Amino acid sequence: MSVIWHLVIMAWHTLMRNKVQTLLAMLGVTVGVGALVTSMALGKGAQEAIKEQLLAAGANMIVVNSGNYQVERAGAGGSPADHAAISKPRSPILQTAQWQSRPIPNFPNVKLYRTHFEDDPMAEHDHPIASERLGDAMAGLGAAATLTLQDAQAIREQLDGIEFVASGVHENARLTLADDERKQWFTRLHGTESQLPVIRSGWIFPYGRFLTAGQVRNAEQVMVLGKVVADRLFGENVNPVGQTLLLWNQEFEVIGVVGSRSWASQPVAGDDQFDAVYIPVTTVHSLLNLSKLNTITVTTSSAGETSIIAKQIEELLRVRHGITEQMPDDFTVRTQSAQLLGKGLAPDVARIVAGNLESIEALTIEQLAASLQRANSTMLALLAGVATVSLLVGGIGVMNLLLLSVTQRTREVGLRMAMGARSRDIASQFVLEAIVLSVVGGLVGATGGALISETLEQLFAWSTEVSFLSMVVSIAVAALLGVIASVYPAHRAAQLNPIGALHHE
Amino acid sequence: MSVISLKDIKKIYQLGDNTVHALRGVSLDIEEGEFVAITGPSGSGKSTMMHILGCLDSPSEGGYLLNGKDVSNLPRQELADIRNRQIGFVFQGFNLLPRTSAVENVELPLLYSRPVMANTERHDRAVAALTAMGLADRLDHHPSQLSGGQQQRVAIARALVNHPSLILADEPTGNLDSKTSIEVMRLLQELREKQGITIVLITHEPEIAAYGTRIISVRDGVIISDEKNEPRSVDPIEELPPIAAASGY
Ligand SMILES: Nc1ncnc2c1ncn2[C@@H]1O[C@H](COP(=O)(O)OP(=O)(O)O)[C@@H](O)[C@H]1O
Ligand SMILES: [Mg+2]
Repeated sequence: MSVIWHLVIMAWHTLMRNKVQTLLAMLGVTVGVGALVTSMALGKGAQEAIKEQLLAAGANMIVVNSGNYQVERAGAGGSPADHAAISKPRSPILQTAQWQSRPIPNFPNVKLYRTHFEDDPMAEHDHPIASERLGDAMAGLGAAATLTLQDAQAIREQLDGIEFVASGVHENARLTLADDERKQWFTRLHGTESQLPVIRSGWIFPYGRFLTAGQVRNAEQVMVLGKVVADRLFGENVNPVGQTLLLWNQEFEVIGVVGSRSWASQPVAGDDQFDAVYIPVTTVHSLLNLSKLNTITVTTSSAGETSIIAKQIEELLRVRHGITEQMPDDFTVRTQSAQLLGKGLAPDVARIVAGNLESIEALTIEQLAASLQRANSTMLALLAGVATVSLLVGGIGVMNLLLLSVTQRTREVGLRMAMGARSRDIASQFVLEAIVLSVVGGLVGATGGALISETLEQLFAWSTEVSFLSMVVSIAVAALLGVIASVYPAHRAAQLNPIGALHHE
Repeated sequence: MSVISLKDIKKIYQLGDNTVHALRGVSLDIEEGEFVAITGPSGSGKSTMMHILGCLDSPSEGGYLLNGKDVSNLPRQELADIRNRQIGFVFQGFNLLPRTSAVENVELPLLYSRPVMANTERHDRAVAALTAMGLADRLDHHPSQLSGGQQQRVAIARALVNHPSLILADEPTGNLDSKTSIEVMRLLQELREKQGITIVLITHEPEIAAYGTRIISVRDGVIISDEKNEPRSVDPIEELPPIAAASGY
């Protein structure tokens, strides 16, 4: 080992006898390896970004909604995102339901039918409804639903491959500042559970924290404000934690504010996430005397299993709800929503997608993934091409240097042969010199490539990921390049006639 | 047993239609401890003889026993091993590697020793050889920082470092002035006298040949005379330390 190390040092000294030529040849390898590392970093980064975006877009999310709104397409016009809905053929009975069809803005050919009896507003309630009890005209409005907390619990406990389950009740709500009755804000209210932030991975909490499992269990009157709500009621950059708000004439303590991590989706008035308040689902249930849920949000451990699990959820809920063979579901299971797709994507990714496809709403996750991969692999192929060409040029540079070196050092070769060097010793000397040159060039290139990748990320927010493996691979590629480039020159040197070489001028 | 035994050696070069008979049948024996000077005019075949003696080339015809072993028809790699173990070369142009220290130059033959020699042993032996040549204070000098005489002494140290049985010197004084030439010849004489090393020296200068114990004259590829010689003696050179017998050289 130490002898080899000595030979490496000698090879380095020999290379340094011709500094300029050596450095020029090395530069070729450096550029090639730098390009290789950078392209691998960009490739890996893009892959990670796609994965992240797909997850953010809900690739592993299943949303179970109560009720079953079916979409009827009257013509071949607009095509809303119905790809993920698990729809059943509609029962003939329901065609004649007393519900009037409601036109949907922007999609004149589409009609929505409300198809489940539970939602019948003519039904008589046998208990005082929430608005009567709480003295707030809005309390309980729109809360009629078919899902229960027990359904959520069953999904959580009976199915495999489930990551998180969060129950949700969604209402419109008017908030009033306890100290100042004139300060009011009308917003969305989400009754939910403590795990929601894990599902919504893009959330941050500038103040306070999210609901705890204990607060949910005890149905406490606590509230997490969306950033828009906090700003409107308390002013920007004011910590509202500990303040009291009135909802349905009840006092709620503010325990946190939720904002967005991503610059891509900044909170705006009217959005569903940040112009909203979050309170324990149990609190909503106890105050409004409800046991129903509007949604159950489920994430799966792996995005690949999402549709299978969605199917299992459907079957589980049909059994739990006692729905017979001919009857349609009284809930809807969606593996992801078109709306999330559009929103969750970073603008650069969305541009790639939108540029290639007519309507983002027509996308399925598979199409999206394929299209992203295509765009990604085109870019990668380009970079790999650049890397290959520069490595090729680098290799030719190394070969050129060695051929020159063999000519310049013919007498040295003759001398070494006279001293007892065999052909193989001579050949390995040149190969070793090429390896040393390429590996040093490769090390510089790999470091440079890593720095460039980092800079690209910092300056242009491109996602890059330099892995240790890619560095090792690049340097190994450089060493291999050195070996290949040195084969011919080394062979030429080894085949020299000792006498001729000794007397070479 | 003779160190060298040549039997009717012929070397024929084919240059297109031209056939050049560089050696036309050379027979000679060289005993251990002889200092043989081979002289002759340019083109007489001295270098050709030296290449064959040095196992750098094989004869077209004839037999060559080196230390009793027939080496006239060995493959390239085996010749390389014999050169490495048994022969030390000293060239006219010194042939030192440029921008490489004296020690590293002397280490060169040891790099090709089999089995592989440890770094420390190689270094120690090179230092010892240079010390024996009076260059203990020039170990890290590059050739360009040494005088001609010093460079040739580095080359001699390199020829000796492998403890060869034979030193072949091709015009070793050709690039040196007369005073330095005398120093180098004195050095070779001392190697023979004190350590009994066999030396074959090739020169076209009769004054240099006069330092040998035997002078062989070559002309047109044949030996025309082969005589014992009373070696020309010079006063021991003041500036050179006596070659330390204890160092093994
Ligand atoms: N490689 C060779 N090819 C053809 N002819 C050669 C070769 N080497 C030497 N000769 C010829 O052989 C003869 C002897 O040359 P050489 O041994 O170099 O003589 P010297 O060293 O005494 O000057 C010369 O005529 C020379 O031209
Ligand atoms: Mg000659």
